[in-house]
Amino acid sequence: MNETSNPYREIHATAAYRRLMIAYYFMVKHAAWFGKKVAWITSGGPVEPLYAMGVLPFYPENYGAMCGASRMSVSLCEAAEQRGYSRDLCSYALTDIGSNLTGKGPLGVLPKPDFLVCANNICGTVIKWYEIQARALNVPVFFLDTPFIHDEIHDHTLRYVEKQMEGYIAFLERQLKRPFSEKRFYRVGARSLTAIRLWKEIIELSKNHPAPFPAFDAFIHMAPIVTLRGTRWAVRYYRKLKKEIEKRVEQGKGAFAREEIRLIWDNIPIWYDIRNLSKMLSSRGAVLVGDTYTSAWAHEQMEGAPSLAGFARSHATIHLNLGLEYKIKKMIELVEGYGAHGFIMHSNRSCKSYSIGQYDIKREVSKATGRPGLIIEADHTDARSYAPKQVEKQIQIFLEIIREKEQS
Amino acid sequence: MTKQTSPNNIRKEIEDITSRSYRDIASVLPKDRMPIGFFCPLVPEELIHAAGALPFRLMGTSVPITHAQAHLPPYCCHLVKASLESLLQGELHFLRGIVFCQTCDSMQGLSDIWARQGIVPSQFNLMIPTHLDSEHARPYLRAEMERFKYFLESNVGKISLRKLKDSIRLFNHIRERLSEIYSLRRTLSARIPGAYFARIIRAGYWMDRIRYLELLEGLVDSLPKQTEGSDSLIPIYLTGNMAHADTYFSLIEDAGAIVVRDDLCSGARTFRLMVAEDRDPLEALTERYFQSFFCPTKYLGPQAHRDILLQEVADSKAQGVIFLLYKYCEACFFDYPDLKSALEAKGISTLLLEVEDPVQSKEQLKIRIQAFVEMLSPL
Ligand code: SF4
Ligand code: SF4
Repeated sequence: MNETSNPYREIHATAAYRRLMIAYYFMVKHAAWFGKKVAWITSGGPVEPLYAMGVLPFYPENYGAMCGASRMSVSLCEAAEQRGYSRDLCSYALTDIGSNLTGKGPLGVLPKPDFLVCANNICGTVIKWYEIQARALNVPVFFLDTPFIHDEIHDHTLRYVEKQMEGYIAFLERQLKRPFSEKRFYRVGARSLTAIRLWKEIIELSKNHPAPFPAFDAFIHMAPIVTLRGTRWAVRYYRKLKKEIEKRVEQGKGAFAREEIRLIWDNIPIWYDIRNLSKMLSSRGAVLVGDTYTSAWAHEQMEGAPSLAGFARSHATIHLNLGLEYKIKKMIELVEGYGAHGFIMHSNRSCKSYSIGQYDIKREVSKATGRPGLIIEADHTDARSYAPKQVEKQIQIFLEIIREKEQS
Repeated sequence: MTKQTSPNNIRKEIEDITSRSYRDIASVLPKDRMPIGFFCPLVPEELIHAAGALPFRLMGTSVPITHAQAHLPPYCCHLVKASLESLLQGELHFLRGIVFCQTCDSMQGLSDIWARQGIVPSQFNLMIPTHLDSEHARPYLRAEMERFKYFLESNVGKISLRKLKDSIRLFNHIRERLSEIYSLRRTLSARIPGAYFARIIRAGYWMDRIRYLELLEGLVDSLPKQTEGSDSLIPIYLTGNMAHADTYFSLIEDAGAIVVRDDLCSGARTFRLMVAEDRDPLEALTERYFQSFFCPTKYLGPQAHRDILLQEVADSKAQGVIFLLYKYCEACFFDYPDLKSALEAKGISTLLLEVEDPVQSKEQLKIRIQAFVEMLSPL
């Protein structure tokens, strides 16, 4: 197979992205200077009410990704393991526990939360993780319970989540000792919906051939849709990014000069190896054009005017809270919608909720689309569970299979 | 005591049913009740029973995994892997239905994979809320119970008020008798050795429950009310997300200790599930989950698990606590370090046993249990 250089086109908005994230982390780290309270929140948690109440959210998962990308996770996981936590636990959680124990990591001492907000719409792991931190930091925790949806969503489930959303507002009022302003919430909610729409439009631009904004870029530029959803900053940033990516489409330019094989990615990225993987794929003319992870923030259910009921529904029905049949359908849509030649699934030993079922998904998606899939074993932040050489070999063979298939 | 409930007959009956593999158990199950499988005591057996079915608990067997890896990654607990393996090997064809309930991510994943096999004719996901100290969880769970009742009525048979009350009473009696046997065992360990005791518990998840209650009553009647004194055995508290298996109970006894109380899925957790008999039965079934800490996959506040464990260990007068955990069980392993510290701060020693396939790791467990018990023994 030809392994040649394949120049990558830098995204100009990246400089604005960096400034944005530096400003965000600076504010969270020094929240007191800005007279703000801080809440630690899970990635699927309802952040809009926090921004509406002027609370700054800190996302340990996003921070875990940062630790992973800067290759600092392993030592933080080891610190948690020293304290008795098993290495088999989610490495985001171990990284956070380790950071909290040692005060180490790219941010140093983590911003102390005033309270925690946990939603189990992404996994059961976060309940245990936030319980531990609630004890360690001696702060209250609000827990939004979103029952898993195997097939259909029932009215009583929606009511349950809605009622808890109301409880969440009451919790915030108690913590902040001030009333919740619906007006502000609607403003934040509207901005959140705008950012989500923009994000959806941006990632879908990669349905174009060549893909102007592949998954490896989306993995980076997704941080504001997670951490700053509901703020003007996020809306402004994504408008800027969208413009630039649209321009690429107009000019028929992809992120890479050469795009011969289009692939879909499933699961959280292997943060510490993103660059290598991207390089390795692109040098062989392969590009990850879409993925299930970043598209999870393009909430399909989040339509129409913002309302608590709407937020309840969208939080109850996010990607990871839906059953296998949905995930199969979603993957088929991605493979077909992005015109992919195949898909790579990261079997992520940290994340059972994302990874269990992948073997069935692979079979069904291949059956339905005629496109081959590859499962690679790794962990999103803990590099100890990753054999890069072996994965590289698997990917090479996989790409050869695709090429042969396309040529025949 | 009738001849049928003489100690020898009881033992024979218990040993017989618990020695069978899934494959050859169908022939001894009651013919008039269709077996409905379930995994977790959060599933109300009372409702299944009241519909006219036999609640049949899957507790994980020691089975080499040869088929399940086509569906599951290696980092799932053995219970999940072994259950799917049994299904794929055709051992569970006798089940007419299966009930999953919301516990951990692995179980949720297993439920969907299981459904795709289309082997067991009907399947239900009972979505027990996770937030068990939320006032909103009650009406939600009540609606789930109604949904479950409807499923059972559509697939098994009508659940009349009277039948449900009878089932609730039956299961309450079973729990009371089991609690009694637990307490008696402390001083009568020679009469009910650990391995047999574990089988007594397991049998109760498979056999006809009316017959099971008769056996338990016969057993309690046959035991002397006087203590026989077995103070030389070191009292141990056993905790984890596992069902009773002969192996541990006998390993612990062989080492000179005795399990005086447990917090296993099939043990004390089930005893805590008493149902009030003086109120609307569905409401009472719903209410019981909110009464005390139940399972590490559920949330009752950040301190709940620690508090109940410390209290129960203190009540049991155990000298040591053994954590018996399935490898890859996130719920248990997240709790473990803080529970260990809390116990050790009270002067209670702990031992962690992490097992993949319980039966396979016997030899290695033996040495560790012996060392632990020795450490607890007076010099
Ligand atoms: S288990 Fe998965 S979804 Fe849950 S926190 Fe870890 S990575 Fe995120
Ligand atoms: S032992 Fe743990 S991981 Fe396994 S099914 Fe039970 S709760 Fe889930």
